[in-house]
Amino acid sequence: MLSTWLLLGTVLGGIATIAIYSFLYKENIFYRFFEHLYIGIAAGFFPVLAFKNFLWPKILKPMFGYDVYNFPDGTVSHEPSSLYFLYIIPALFGLLYYTLYIKRFSWMLKLVIGFSLGAAAGLTFKGFFPEILPQITKSFRPLVVFENSEINWITSFENIFFIFTLLSVMYYFFFTIKREGRVANSFAYAGRWLMMICFGAFFGSTVMARMALLVERIKFLAHDWVDAIQTLIG
Amino acid sequence: MKEVTERRLIYLFVILIVAFPILLDYSIPPARMKAGQSLYDKIDTLKVNDGEFAFVALDFGPGTQAENLPQSDSIVEHLFRKRIPVVLFSQYFLAEGFLKSLPESVAKRLNRETGENWEYGKDWVNIGYRPGSGILIQNLAKADKFIEVFKEDANGSSLSEFKLFKNSKGLESVKILTEFTGLVGVFDSYIQFFQKKNYVPIFGHGCTSITIPEAYIYLDSGQIDGLLEGLAGAAWYSHLLDKNYRKNNMEDIQITNTALGVSHLAIIFLIILGNIIMFVRRRRNNA
Repeated sequence: MLSTWLLLGTVLGGIATIAIYSFLYKENIFYRFFEHLYIGIAAGFFPVLAFKNFLWPKILKPMFGYDVYNFPDGTVSHEPSSLYFLYIIPALFGLLYYTLYIKRFSWMLKLVIGFSLGAAAGLTFKGFFPEILPQITKSFRPLVVFENSEINWITSFENIFFIFTLLSVMYYFFFTIKREGRVANSFAYAGRWLMMICFGAFFGSTVMARMALLVERIKFLAHDWVDAIQTLIG
Repeated sequence: MKEVTERRLIYLFVILIVAFPILLDYSIPPARMKAGQSLYDKIDTLKVNDGEFAFVALDFGPGTQAENLPQSDSIVEHLFRKRIPVVLFSQYFLAEGFLKSLPESVAKRLNRETGENWEYGKDWVNIGYRPGSGILIQNLAKADKFIEVFKEDANGSSLSEFKLFKNSKGLESVKILTEFTGLVGVFDSYIQFFQKKNYVPIFGHGCTSITIPEAYIYLDSGQIDGLLEGLAGAAWYSHLLDKNYRKNNMEDIQITNTALGVSHLAIIFLIILGNIIMFVRRRRNNA
């Protein structure tokens, strides 16, 4: 039974893929239908999953004591705790988001937004140091690297190029004092060019990612989808 | 109208050129990836004691499965072959399906090849999707016992019942963390919080091609110990498994990687061709 559902899923997946790619030819109703279907599924999937995996087993079940199991010898797995009802407080606080729709109470929304922003800012601030400090530390590199009392030219060049890039890009974004003179302008200009090379690398990797998606879809159509159709037809 | 036709021809050309290696099952050996090799060596030499395990975070959905799925498949296979217990988890709700299907398919594949068994609860446990982001990861790092944070697996079974967690402690039990995602924010939460003052597990990362330039920053600073760069990284890792473990080579991912390489060549060709046409047209107009 399961394999039949899987087969149907694969066939439908193939049709959906072709429908979405049909946009490359031109805008059409077939594409529009599957686009709306996808948005609908994505929008519906998350609330169901949040309820099934989190709200029900972690909040509501223990709150109402549904997680307490009775054993045949008359004992129970654990005593239900009324402390779980305290979850209602943050839940009600979170529901204040919906005061947005009542003009008289809409000021309460600011409390929730303020709390969310404060928590997010605190978390980001705390995470900043363990994330960025090691990177700053590693930026201090020796310009001449010795290996077995001989200069390692390749690593030395890498480090010099790294430091030059770092300083020139930082200098490009230094607007506190006016840049004057040929050397200063050239240094900033080099920083701009190095950034453009970096953006080129970013763009190249984006193309690579998009192509990987195309490759996976073509592979799916050429193998899984064709096999599924052949199996269904018999 | 002419521009629309030209665009359609380019799409058709790219699709045909990508389909060529896939339809003909044609593959070339992947390029050596230094960061992938480093992760392979770390896992290959890893030794775990009772109660210790690998923590595999699959933070991806169908949108990036083309790159993240082959990466995680290869890593889980390597961990299974080394008999390192695996705990799977996700902060991304669309990963639910992969958390279940991936270890099952790897276990089945290895069973067919070796005749050995990999059991749920002993060799792997699926914690499932959990919301909470950075706060959850902080709790995990602070907890004295790993199972106190999660308590249950994805099916609602108590984690304390599983053999895998019998002698497990807190973060110290995680010998290696491998995280697969295309979401920079999720990856950041592990970099920032998945560590203790005196203990940082080995950190391997599988990223999508888009996030490769950013991931290199963390690799360069030593915050991650190994990296699988998109499909190319996965192909190299799979090649290493072919060479050192597998009885039959897994051609599938090498074919996919070849198709990706061919598509790159096609795009480079189109960029050069487009520039030539532009110069010719400009010269003709000036004349």
